[in-house]
Amino acid sequence: MKKKRLLADWLVYAALTLAALFTLFPLLMALMNSFKTNGELLTDVMSWPQTFNFDNYVRTLDKMHYLRSLGNTLLLTVTSVTLIVLFSALAGWRLCRTKTRFSSALFSLFVFSMLIPFSSIMIPLYRVVLALKVKNSLIGFSFVYAGLGVSMAIFLYHGFVKGIPLELEEAAAIDGCNMRHTFFSIVMPMLSPITATIVITNALWVWNDFLLPLIVISKSEKYTLLLSTNTLFGQYSSDWTAILSSLILAAIPVIIFYAFFQRRILEGIADGAVKG
Amino acid sequence: MLTKRKQNLSLLLCVLPALLVYCVFKLYPAVSGVYYAMTDWNGISKTSSFVGLANFAEVFGDANYWRSMGFTLKYVLVMVVVANVAALALAVAIESRRRAKGLYRTLFFMPNMISMVIGGYMWMFIFTKVLYYLADNWGMVFLDHSWIGDPQYAFIAIIIVAAWGAIGYLMIIFMAALQGVSPQLKEAAYLDGANAWQTFWRVTFPMISHALTICIFWTLNSAFQVFDVVFVLTGGGPGRATQSVALNIYEEAFKGNVRFGYATAKSTVLFLIVLAVTMVQLRLMKGREQEL
Repeated sequence: MKKKRLLADWLVYAALTLAALFTLFPLLMALMNSFKTNGELLTDVMSWPQTFNFDNYVRTLDKMHYLRSLGNTLLLTVTSVTLIVLFSALAGWRLCRTKTRFSSALFSLFVFSMLIPFSSIMIPLYRVVLALKVKNSLIGFSFVYAGLGVSMAIFLYHGFVKGIPLELEEAAAIDGCNMRHTFFSIVMPMLSPITATIVITNALWVWNDFLLPLIVISKSEKYTLLLSTNTLFGQYSSDWTAILSSLILAAIPVIIFYAFFQRRILEGIADGAVKG
Repeated sequence: MLTKRKQNLSLLLCVLPALLVYCVFKLYPAVSGVYYAMTDWNGISKTSSFVGLANFAEVFGDANYWRSMGFTLKYVLVMVVVANVAALALAVAIESRRRAKGLYRTLFFMPNMISMVIGGYMWMFIFTKVLYYLADNWGMVFLDHSWIGDPQYAFIAIIIVAAWGAIGYLMIIFMAALQGVSPQLKEAAYLDGANAWQTFWRVTFPMISHALTICIFWTLNSAFQVFDVVFVLTGGGPGRATQSVALNIYEEAFKGNVRFGYATAKSTVLFLIVLAVTMVQLRLMKGREQEL
């Protein structure tokens, strides 16, 4: 009996390790081959690189305008997430605290559209973007993300505020606190657990979104990391060392982010998924 | 206490920023889309005219559209099964471990951090370079296929990459649910003589059915809109063999034809299908959950 248990135990570990290798395989292969010369890569993709030279990286840093693309993506993500958090926290909080018919009507207006798939609105949205002249403007573009993201965030904030006792806000009001002050120094701090969830899920969404920038951004100076990578692939489709190093460069920021905030990210993802 | 009117006024003030961006960038496109679907609006001429239901009539006769819908349905079906079964298996396996739980969890979630565009190109390297190499030099002949060029294998390749990207997310949801199952219940089942297999299906599985509802809902919703993976790996090819509906709509609108009105009609049909399918799924599974 005990022996059988031990064997089963080892089998599960072996299966998990195999699955982990499968998961990491494309990443590790890309990393390993990104250090090779093109000739080396063509003769043997499975070998260890002869020398770890960073020539490919130097080459692609320049070709994909890495720092510019990274800056663009960072700017877009930070402004979008800031707008989503500010707008939704304020709206979700008041919607929950105001018990009128108008309030519940507004709330349903926000929530009902959550089922509409993005591909169904992308073409009319493109027209709006053209009409408002925010095509190729990263700041303008972040308002588009805010518009698409607030429904879910308001829903989450609304649910969270329900669980917070009203007393603190009432005490603040008695002490003569105005609404702006109450919101920023009393409500926002209490909302921080759900804010963390909202920041993480939305940051990952905006950072990794491809279709919307593909449609909206046409100037190469405004390209996000993904658009630059995609363009590079189109231009150098057989130059694998260039492509692989660009893929690694494009993946590095999120991997670092993941390494630092791993626990919070996983908690936030589970939280956001279950509540949404 | 404030009067109702005053309350509503201050509410409106706080909701205004959110409401504004929401109306302009989501609600208006959604509503106006219904109108544009009935026009011959395109990206070239400045004006467009109302054509009634002509676009929808054309959609119903559009063989390429329905072929892409067929591909998408097949993709949705396979993804819902493959990704959820794999994710649940991983979640259960990890939760049953005492050591290295965090390490496995971290590794399996990694692909979800990276965009499917980056992951897709990495896999492209595997499919077009590495697998051939393994087949030729390491004797793994079963890998010797045209993974991107042959419709049948291209479908498998797309599923592999998409599942690789989705499993970690689903696994996290399942793990959260598994942690919520009380150990006493499992112990009680064990004392009553149930083996591990019976305990899982009779005790644990019913307790995590809400997570299954969430996961299937999420997979359905995202799989119906699949774009990135297909765009990167095959571009819909060979021919149109792996074209998804989202890609079909994208090409109609932004490549070549620029028939925006017609493409909007196509996307409206997609919306109605997704809505119907998810409604049925939620009703079926919610009903089941309540029975317990």
